[in-house]
Amino acid sequence: MTVDLDQYAKPGKSYYLALGLEGSANKIGVGVIKHNLGQLSSTNSAEVLSNVRDTYVTPPGEGFLPRDTARHHRNWVVRIIKDALKVAKVSGSDLDCICFTQGPGMGAPLQSVVIAARTLSQLWDLPLVGVNHCIGHIEMGREITGAQNPVVLYVSGGNTQVIAYSRQRYRIFGETLDIAIGNCLDRFARTLKIPNIPFPGYNIEQMAKKGKHLVPLPYTVKGMDLSMSGILAHIDQLAKQMFSGKKPPVDEETGEPITAEDLCFSLQETLYSMLVEITERAMAHVQSNQVLIVGGVGSNLRLQEMMQLMVQDRKGGSIHATDERFCIDNGIMIAHAGLLSYRTGQTNELWNTVCTQRYRTDEVFVKWRDD
Amino acid sequence: MLVPTAEYSSPTGDHSFVPGDGPHTTNGKTTQISDIVVKAGGEDRDQPTEAKDTELGALRAQLTTLQDKLNEFLTQRMQRDKVQGDDIERRLLDEGYDGELSDLKRK
Repeated sequence: MTVDLDQYAKPGKSYYLALGLEGSANKIGVGVIKHNLGQLSSTNSAEVLSNVRDTYVTPPGEGFLPRDTARHHRNWVVRIIKDALKVAKVSGSDLDCICFTQGPGMGAPLQSVVIAARTLSQLWDLPLVGVNHCIGHIEMGREITGAQNPVVLYVSGGNTQVIAYSRQRYRIFGETLDIAIGNCLDRFARTLKIPNIPFPGYNIEQMAKKGKHLVPLPYTVKGMDLSMSGILAHIDQLAKQMFSGKKPPVDEETGEPITAEDLCFSLQETLYSMLVEITERAMAHVQSNQVLIVGGVGSNLRLQEMMQLMVQDRKGGSIHATDERFCIDNGIMIAHAGLLSYRTGQTNELWNTVCTQRYRTDEVFVKWRDD
Repeated sequence: MLVPTAEYSSPTGDHSFVPGDGPHTTNGKTTQISDIVVKAGGEDRDQPTEAKDTELGALRAQLTTLQDKLNEFLTQRMQRDKVQGDDIERRLLDEGYDGELSDLKRK
């Protein structure tokens, strides 16, 4: 039996349209998605009508502060919504629902965007659908790649989780015990004063390609979980020694000085090895041979390559990843996951649209799946 | 014309806010980019759009002025509370005050 996804369609209409608003971190994204009636499948896939995004960029060496990020979202949200509707060639009255990120994320940016969502809902008399940000990533990843029931590695600036689906929940098998992987990379980029354009992790990836020496770093996998703050403290210390010239680190074998590129290379190799290890462990536990990588760090090609090496050693293994349009935070994934929720009758009354910074992936009841 | 107003009430007094005569713009004093970002060499590419010459546009601009007034009022209040709080802490810790805490707060 499959879940009936068509009982909430507007009479006489053969499709659903949803607007999604995302603003849990430094990107504001708005997207419009279309689902034709019937089950989603390879022949009846969701259509991305528009997916517009703007990123709040800070100077090198600076992270994004909640206040300024929220200001960015507030001052751009109307322009981006107009843009997304124009690209999609739809108007407010064509939509079925307004979907917004309810959490997890940074409080102030989340609040700026939910105000826009509430306003549109009242303006156009449309129901609101609160979406868990992580579920947005997972569902969009599944839709784009066609991965049916993968182990999901969710890696971004705020989250690091290994997730597998079981009985209408996306269950967390392993996660970070302290900082997220993207946060670890971003903060190291700040130490090196690497530009934040297009995003710090991309610039680390490019520098890492030129790295030649692998510097030993702590390797901190704790069962299915991992810890990264100690690694960051360690490599920050090495970078400080390198910049100050006092006891600059050298390669143990060749005696050559360690460069910033070497540090980027070593950080990536160590962190990604840890991710591959916990993902493989989760795959063995749930007897899955598919991996889906989602979240901003998932656009890193070296991570994808290392994961590929692990997966191809497993029988019938396959790896699925998306490009930056869907990996990095975006509005379309919120529209997509929100619309799935809407199609099973899940909406939020106005009083129930308060955002929350803490909202775990396994709190969401996945009503649209029953496998 | 639409004119936004705001009411503040607390045990120590009530306050109402109106935008006043203007001129009003959407570029508020208290909603600028943080000093810390400016000092780090950041430029502000996220200015709000200017208010349109319509009723809703005028409301946006007046609302920004109102927000400024509220923010300034609340900041002042917080600073006053902080000074008072510091004073209580000083008297408790440095001057060895051992009476009722509520007596200190009343002064």
